[in-house]
Amino acid sequence: MPQANSEPTFAGRIERLREAMKEFGLQAVVIEPGPAMQYLTGVRWGRSERTFALVVPLKGVLGFVLPGFEEMRAKELIHSGAEIRVWQEDESPYQLVAQMLKDRGVTAGRVGIDPSVRFFIYDGVKKLAPGLTYVSAQQVLKSAGVDTSSPAARR
Amino acid sequence: MSNPTRRTFLVTAAAGLAGTALPQTDNLPVAFRKLRPMTDGIQPIIVAERAGRLEKARKLMRENRINAVVMESGSSAFYFTGSRAAGAVLLFSQGDPVPVAASGGIAKALKDGGVSTGRVGVEERVRFEMVDAIGKDLPALEFTSADPVTAGCRMTKSPAELALMQRANDITIACYRAAFASLREGMTQHEISAYIGAGYKLLGVEGDAMVSFGMYTAFPHGSIQPQKLREGDFVLIDDGCRVEGYQSDITRTVIFGKPTQRQRDVWELERKAQNAALAAARPGATCESVDTAARKVITDAGFGPGYKLPGLPHRTGHGIGLDGHEWPYLVRGNKRRMEPGMCFSDEPMIAIYGEFGVRLEDCMYITEDGARTFTKQSPAIDQPFG
Repeated sequence: MPQANSEPTFAGRIERLREAMKEFGLQAVVIEPGPAMQYLTGVRWGRSERTFALVVPLKGVLGFVLPGFEEMRAKELIHSGAEIRVWQEDESPYQLVAQMLKDRGVTAGRVGIDPSVRFFIYDGVKKLAPGLTYVSAQQVLKSAGVDTSSPAARR
Repeated sequence: MSNPTRRTFLVTAAAGLAGTALPQTDNLPVAFRKLRPMTDGIQPIIVAERAGRLEKARKLMRENRINAVVMESGSSAFYFTGSRAAGAVLLFSQGDPVPVAASGGIAKALKDGGVSTGRVGVEERVRFEMVDAIGKDLPALEFTSADPVTAGCRMTKSPAELALMQRANDITIACYRAAFASLREGMTQHEISAYIGAGYKLLGVEGDAMVSFGMYTAFPHGSIQPQKLREGDFVLIDDGCRVEGYQSDITRTVIFGKPTQRQRDVWELERKAQNAALAAARPGATCESVDTAARKVITDAGFGPGYKLPGLPHRTGHGIGLDGHEWPYLVRGNKRRMEPGMCFSDEPMIAIYGEFGVRLEDCMYITEDGARTFTKQSPAIDQPFG
């Protein structure tokens, strides 16, 4: 299959998002599978009840939090040199997202949430990282040109 | 392990790789061409049953101090209203559900319903932007999970729901019979997947299938690698269809050709693990105890332990109903006790990366006397249907 989007393209898109984050005062953005994740990383994944999240910190390496038993399948798709942390079925994915934020120095301030993130994920993370302020990432994504609808965002 | 979004991905991928849309009927294998609609006599959920659901929801709202429930279009909204119209639906402690067409109107509708302070239950799949917008208009609201209400109602199925799920299971078995009768050396996993999709249409429903061959059967949700069926491969087919919104989810793992002793041994072990979960499931049993029962069989044979590979990398099963995966989950740590009417998948798998995986999945429902499967379990490595 032809790959329209190469990795340098994704790196450029992340860079552009980070510039917008700086402008909007966001320490990190949390994204669920969907057009935004695909546009930024090329990772196309179906949403389910099992949390699969992308954390884009202002500083530091990108991180994915995903189900342990999906690691092999996910690694077929994630080529960006991102950090992958896995949660097992009886563990909390929200704990991993909260820890990932903390490890990247995000302990205060504003975190952008992809507007399409489902409530249970936002609620789960918020309970474990209550010191952060959660705001919609809609404007920052838009400003960074993150196309959340166009087929151009697809591989 | 059904999952509608994953299904969409795989089917789209199949179409892309094959360079074609779903096959025309003429191009289908003969076993599929013989399929006819199995939709006669289906009884949709009646209005009176939905009224009972709402009554239960209002009771659960009172018990959980939830003043209103916010849902987006989806399974929960459909469960209470029978509609999948776009927009949101609100439940209040009194009166009928209130549909809200535009997301901007939710805060106003809550206010009009007398809820501008206190706890509002948010259905699990509601998007952040919606909650964020309501919170801006009504900052005194406290948002909490609506699961005690929505899952509280949906987790136990009525006889009418069980009948719809039974039909979905029967249709899936009919489609899988055609699929296993059509296996030919050299076929790709996407071809079979597309045939099954077309088969469901001939059976009068919508459904999908994930198909894996050989070493890729170890991937619980399949692999994107292209695969061609070869002598001695395991063939794993998973997922299901929908009848009046109710889902089936069945997996069969079958040998294509002659099995090795290793394949036989692991298949038999898998079947024992599936039996162990079925035997452990009954009213009063905790959900985690069913996972433990299946996992013990696999661990005692030297796999694992825990989620370690080779072994059983995921939970033993999930609830099923209007969603292919829903509460309660058969997973360690889940102390919830089983009740009559609850429905679960029973699917401990054994994954051996680099070799193969075996998963047998039948769904079961809890009765006063124990668990019963909707479908007959696979009796042997070369016999998918009992």
